[in-house]
Formats: sequence, structure tokens, C-alpha cells
Amino acid sequence: MHVALDPRTKLYMILVVSMVVLMTATTPFLWGVRIFMTLVPITLLFIEKKYASAIRFLIFYGVALVLTFFFLSEESSGIFTAILIGYCGIVVQFMPSMITAWYCVRTTKIDEFMSAMQKLHIPNGIAISLAVVMRFFPTIKEEYGSIRDAMKMRGITFGSGNVLKMVEYRMIPLLFSCVNIGDELSAAAITRGLDGNVKRTSIVDLKLHAADILLMLVFTAVLGVFVYYKYFR
Amino acid sequence: MNSNKLKAKDFITVGIFTAILIVVEFLCGMLGYIHPYIVASYVIMIPLVGAIPMMLFYTKVEKFGMLSLMSVLIAIIMFVLGMGYLGAPLIVCAGVVADLIAKSGKYKSFKKTIISYGVFCLWICANYFPVIVTADSYRKDLLDGGYSAEYCDDLFRAINEKTIAVLLILCFVFGCIGAVIGKKVVKKHFEKAGIV
Amino acid sequence: MENQESIIKIDHVSFKYKGSTEGFLSDVSLSFTKGETVLLCGASGCGKTTILRLINGLIPHYYSGDLTGNVIVAENNIRETELYKLAGVVGTVFQNPRSQFFSVDTDGEIVFGPENIGLSPKEIVKRKNLAVSEMKIEKLLNRSLFELSGGEKQKIACASVSALLPEIILLDEPSSNLDWNAISDLRDSIRRWKEEGKTIIISEHRLWYVKDLIDRVLYLSDGAVKKEWRGEEFRTLSESEVAELKLRPISLEEKYIDAFTDEKGQITSKQMPAREKAKCNGNLTQASDIGEKVILSEFCFSYDKKHSGRRLRKCIQNGITGECDGLQLCIPNITLPAGKVVGVIGRNGTGKSTFLRCVCGLEKRCPGKIEVDGKQYAGKERLKITYLVMQDVNHQLFTDSVKAEVMLSMEEDDEKRCDEILDRLGLLPFKDKHPMALSGGQKQRVAIASAMAAGAKILLFDEPTSGLDYAHMKQVGDMLKKLAKSGSTILVSTHDPELLALCCDEVIHIERGKLVG
Repeated sequence: MHVALDPRTKLYMILVVSMVVLMTATTPFLWGVRIFMTLVPITLLFIEKKYASAIRFLIFYGVALVLTFFFLSEESSGIFTAILIGYCGIVVQFMPSMITAWYCVRTTKIDEFMSAMQKLHIPNGIAISLAVVMRFFPTIKEEYGSIRDAMKMRGITFGSGNVLKMVEYRMIPLLFSCVNIGDELSAAAITRGLDGNVKRTSIVDLKLHAADILLMLVFTAVLGVFVYYKYFR
Repeated sequence: MNSNKLKAKDFITVGIFTAILIVVEFLCGMLGYIHPYIVASYVIMIPLVGAIPMMLFYTKVEKFGMLSLMSVLIAIIMFVLGMGYLGAPLIVCAGVVADLIAKSGKYKSFKKTIISYGVFCLWICANYFPVIVTADSYRKDLLDGGYSAEYCDDLFRAINEKTIAVLLILCFVFGCIGAVIGKKVVKKHFEKAGIV
Repeated sequence: MENQESIIKIDHVSFKYKGSTEGFLSDVSLSFTKGETVLLCGASGCGKTTILRLINGLIPHYYSGDLTGNVIVAENNIRETELYKLAGVVGTVFQNPRSQFFSVDTDGEIVFGPENIGLSPKEIVKRKNLAVSEMKIEKLLNRSLFELSGGEKQKIACASVSALLPEIILLDEPSSNLDWNAISDLRDSIRRWKEEGKTIIISEHRLWYVKDLIDRVLYLSDGAVKKEWRGEEFRTLSESEVAELKLRPISLEEKYIDAFTDEKGQITSKQMPAREKAKCNGNLTQASDIGEKVILSEFCFSYDKKHSGRRLRKCIQNGITGECDGLQLCIPNITLPAGKVVGVIGRNGTGKSTFLRCVCGLEKRCPGKIEVDGKQYAGKERLKITYLVMQDVNHQLFTDSVKAEVMLSMEEDDEKRCDEILDRLGLLPFKDKHPMALSGGQKQRVAIASAMAAGAKILLFDEPTSGLDYAHMKQVGDMLKKLAKSGSTILVSTHDPELLALCCDEVIHIERGKLVG
């Protein structure tokens, strides 16, 4: 099965989820809705064959959920349990939005994203910069990996115990690299016409399919339920 | 050609430094999982650590809009990463005001740069918004669940509506301190190496 | 040339970069005819790249400096033409495959240019399919660019330029980071463009792979064109003539490629030119007689985390069968002469880098042991006696002065020893400079200095001469010899046959993680 969701649907999902996580579930029914909402992006991750992250999220969320429910009904004793419960609470509360965000970022191509931004009438500059941000995360990871190796060889991973040095030794080579790559990237992008006054086109033909509409309806319903219980009950 | 308009090169520069800043924010955020109080200390850590890339970024800013754009990007990314939309106005306001301050010093004045960065750092407080908004009901949940009031107090003592003012001020102060340190680092490395 | 129509005209151009004395041009006048293939050669900093930047408009629109004279490209005066209007006319393939792509996925990268200039989606898809089938890169579609090799990235870069259908294609040292297979693919791309009648200008140090494609060669020095040959003339230049111009050999490398593709893998000392072999063989036997050896044992590794250190060791003990097939590296035992330069060759992605990473202890799970001076080092201890000079040396410079960089590696600050080391490497005049302000070769030497200060006995080099011109390559070779003479054992992974010929006492060949020959 292949479900290629429109980036706009994904953005809408993020919007709904990040609103819902700010509203507490007070009844079992609301908890059910909340868990259902969290399972949607996890299922989508499975469909996109991102099994590793899907399973990781599932376990993490599941454990936090069980711990919260299980311990909430008992007397809590000891600072460790207390902190653990506190964390599980936070995880259960905010994890859904993290999962949704992860799903959206991992499954959206820069091209699709740029074209969605254009359809939503977001200025070109913002779209370009955001595309660069998305491209640069893996670059930073690569560069940082090499720097960490170099630090290991020099035996300065912990900066001789000096926190300031620890930050400096990582940050300085990283910044030098990023500035260099940025210069070359700009040159390469400009020679391929990035700075144009022409309207950018895209081969990605964004259309809302049945799946998109269905998901939007479902998420609207979820939002509706929570708003109803919070403000009208 | 209108040299005051942002061009592709500027957009790319903004993108790169935003990515670095988000990584810094994210790494500091990981530390927050160790203890709730560390979450509150973001206002100290992120301004200080982030100052190094940001001071390098300031040397590349010559036109109005780059700092504002960065704040817009941060707001969007925070939203996508699930930090909610409530902080967005604060982030963008901080960015635009910081941009205006730096502009008044023509992006060269050291003093204006320090203040500008201090203001820019206020965006970090937007991270706390969702926690604050949910705090009341969340706390009630915990109390209903049989937790001692003491523990709940502990958890939320660090972050609530009252301390947010303190956190904002801390952000600004440590932003300024960070800017001074960051500027020194930039001088020590990037100016000496001749790439600024 | 039957078609005398000039497509690029550079008219009395002088240029100097803002804040730099390198790569300037003084009063250059050139003209390129439609459909010809031209090679620009000369030492680094001679102005080759500057000429390309004049043609693609990056000068003056991106790099600022003092520009006089006029550049006309396909009837556009570069000074007054906005860059995006040139995008469909001039395409450029850059040196570094890592930094020139904008997208994260391959498809997006190929259509990036056409989308920018606002072509209709139908047309873009048509062009994309054309570029893909021409370059035969169907397999690379729908992949993340971050998981591709340098050669594959460079192919995508070529396809991305192709999709814009430019009349003029510029290549700026495109082979610098590529191995021989990737270079031959690159040559095919250039040949195809040539057949399509495009005007091609290549700036390059490696001459062998382009020599049969070029119609004209321009030799630059100090910002001016000093010599010019027709293609046929250039191909018949003698070895000594080429050496005099400080250019890399025109045909030497092909000998090595033939050797590389030899199935039997009889690579070791056999393929070295006879005189080199004779020269080093004498020393080699002597050293082995004395018994100064470095013994590497149980060097086995897999990036797959299910192979734990113990499991890897078991693999070795049971011999290289069955289970070991999935390993990226499997070298049960090898003895190297101490105090010599040992070349490590093999195709990209066959385990050379993995071997170096394991030897220097960066891969903790590798159970390998190193025996030097009768002592055995394993695990983390390996980090202390070895040092790897990375291909991108910028990653391993941390401090704000050359002196501090050396001191950082010392357990106790010893200024005298620091000066000694720096003097030996010719770095003393730069003692207080920022490492990043130095040239590439000097940075490499700073990294070596820090390794020596830390007392490393084995120095490892990962492609130390990629993208270097003849003079700099020779400098590196001489330095490696000097280091070996002073007692360090040196392992150098390289694709550069000239470097092998220049300084390697012995060569080991790795294919699919195993020693050959």
C-alpha cells in the first residue's frame, strides 16, 4: 500500500496535534481519542516502511502510557518514582506531537515541501531558507561525526574537563566547515538559477487525494471532541 | 540592482545558521530529560552556547530582514517539532526587534549587537509556553492521582507564570553575556583566520 | 575548426579578489569557439578557476573584487546579465560533490535547475528522463543524496547540469574527490556532451582522463595564459616537457589503471616503475633483517552492529569462511616494515578507509591488535600510538594557533620540543598563525605536528593528495619519506599513482575488505 500524503495534510496534522496536546484528557473517552490520534502517525510510519522509528515510538509511548496509568492509581513513594512518573506524564502529554513531527519531516521531500509552501503563498525566501535548514541537518551530523572522530584521536573529547573547551573544540571546526559548505552551496545553487525573478515551477503536482481528505476530517473531528469537552462541558 | 533586498546567498546563510542554532537548542534540550530544573536552565545554556554561531552570523548580516527571517524560521520549526504555536508571536517579535536594534547600529556597532542578541534570545522562553498553559490542569491530574502537593510544587516551581518574567530577564542577561563571549571567540578564531 | 563562430569572448580582463592575492588574472584575452573542448591547466592559484567564474558569472555577481575588461558569453555581457538568465546557458560542475547539491533527494536535485528557471512541469519531466537515461543513473533515482558515494554524487551533479540543457558546460576540477571508476564515468559524461556539440571548458590537474577529449589546451601561470597547444600537440608532449611545466603526467595513470583491473591482483611492488623498485628494495630487505616490524593482527570489522567484538574475533579464529563474508574488513594478519611508507590501494568502498579507521582505533568493536617494538596495543590504546590525517584536515584543527595546536597534544607543555617539531616540518614561521589561515598543505603538516607531539608511532593518511597539483603532490611525497626516515611508520591510502611511485616502499592492495596479492 502506498499513501503519499500531501504536505499540506501533514501540516494540518501537526497543527491539530499540537493544539490537542495542550488540552488535558480527563475522561477515558478522551484518553481513547488521544491515543487514537497518536496511533495515526505511527501507522503511517509503518506504511512508509520506517519500521525502526515506528516501533521505537510505539514502545516508548506505550511504556510511558502504561506507567502513567498503572502508578497513578497507587500511592507514590520515593523521589525516584515521583520523577519517573513526572516524566511519563510529560512524555504522554507531548509525545504525540513529536511523533507527528518526525513522521512529517522524514517523509516529505524538499521539492514537495517547496511546492506546498508556494501553494500556501509562503514567500519564496522563507521556503528557500527552510529547504536549506532541512538539507543542513544531515550535513551537520556528518561533519560533527568527523570532528568527534578527530577529537577521539587527540584524546580531547572531554576538553580536559573544561566545559568551555568542550564546546569550543566542537563548535569551531563545525562552524568553519559549515561556512565553507555554505559558500560553495550558494555558488552552485546560484549558477542553477536559484536567484531568479521568475516564478518557480515544480514537477510535484500537489493534489488532495481521498486519503488526505479522510485524514483531515478525522483530525478535525479529534480537535472538535477536545474543544467541545474543554469549553462546552 | 537593489542591494538591500535579500538574495539567495542570504537565504542560504540564514538557513545554515538556523540549522546550527536548532541543533544547539536540541542538544541542550536533551539535557532537559535528566532533570526538570535543567529545563529551566535553558535560559542560561542556550544563550551562552548559541552565542558563538550567532556572533559569527551577525558578522554576515548586512541587510534588514535576516534576523527577522531567522526568527520566522525558528517559529515554524518549533511548531513543526511540536512546541506549539503559542510561542510563535514571541519568537517573531524578538527577532524583528533584535533586527531593528542591530539595524540602528548599521549591523556594525558592537554595543547594539550585544543588546540585539540579548533580545533575540527571548525566543527561548517560547519553549515554556505549552508547559505553562497546561500546568494547571496537569497539576490537578497529578494531585488527583495521589501525588503529594510537595512534588507537584517542585515540578512546577521552576516554570510557571510568575517565573516566566524572571526567565525572560535571565535570557536577556545571559544573551548579553553570551554575546560578549561569542564575540571574543569570533575574534580569536574567525577573524584571526581571516574568514570574516 | 570548421565552425569559427565564437561563443565566449574574454576581452582584456584583469581581476583581483577582494582581500586575497591568489587566483588573480592580469589582462587575459581569450575566445572559445562553439563546440570545442578546452582544458585549462596550471598550478593551483594560477587563475584557472577564476576564468571559469568569469564565464558563469559568479564573478562579479557572487565573488567581489576589481574587474576590468569585458566578458561576453553567448551574446550576454556578463556584467549586466543577472545570474539566473545565465542558468540555461552555462552549466557548472564543481569540485566538491559534498557541497554542491541543494536537495536531499536525487530526483529533486536533477530538476532543481529547470524548476528554478520556471519551465513547465511537462518539459521538466521530459528533460529529467532524458538526462537520467543518458547518464544511466536510473538506479540512483529516489535515493537520499547523503547515502551516495562521491562518484555517484558527481553523476547527479552532471545530470542536474544536463537537465538545464546549457550550450556551455564548465567543469572545475571535477575529478578531485573521485576514484578511477568514477573518473571513467565522468569521462563518459564529458564525451557525450562533446558529441552533442556543447562547448566544454575543463579546469583540471589530472590530465590523463581528459587528454583524448580535448581540442585545445591552455596553460596558465601567474594569472596569464602562457602556453597554448592543439589537442594533438598536447598528447605528444614528452614526459620531461610535462614535468618541466610542473604538470601531472599525461599518461602515467593509465598504466596503473590497467594494473588495477588485473584480475590476479598482482599489484604490489611489481607495478612500480623499475627504478623506484630497485631503489627501495635495497632498504626494504635491510629493514626486515633487523626485524623492525609492525604486526597487525585480527583486523576484522563490520558496520553491522550485530557483529560484536567477540563475534568478530571468532570469525578470525575460524578462518575466513562463511560468516566472514558480510564483513567490511577481514585481515587476519599482516606484517609491515617499520619506518617505511606503505601505500594502501584499492577501489573506493572496498575497505581502505575502514582499514585505516580500525588501525587507528576509531572503530572500537574492531578486535585488531598492533604490535610495535615488541609491545602490543589493542582497543583504546591504539588511539595513542596512531594518528590519522583525514582527507578533510579542517576537521582536526581545534585551536587558535599552530603552537597551541601542538601543545594540545602534549601531556606537559614543552615549548622546546614544540619548536623542534615545528622546525622539522617547516612550520616555525607560522607558529602564531591560526591553523585555518594556512594553505591546505600547511594544515596537513600542522595535523602531523600534533600527531608527533602526541608520540604517535604510526601515521595514517587518507587520500592526502586528492585535488593537489604536481608541486604540492611532490611536497607531500617528500614529507612522507622524511617522516618515515625519522622513524614513523606510515600508511597512506591513495588513488594517486604518482604518489605511490614517488614515496611508497611497499604497497598493499585491499579488495572487498581483504588483502589481495
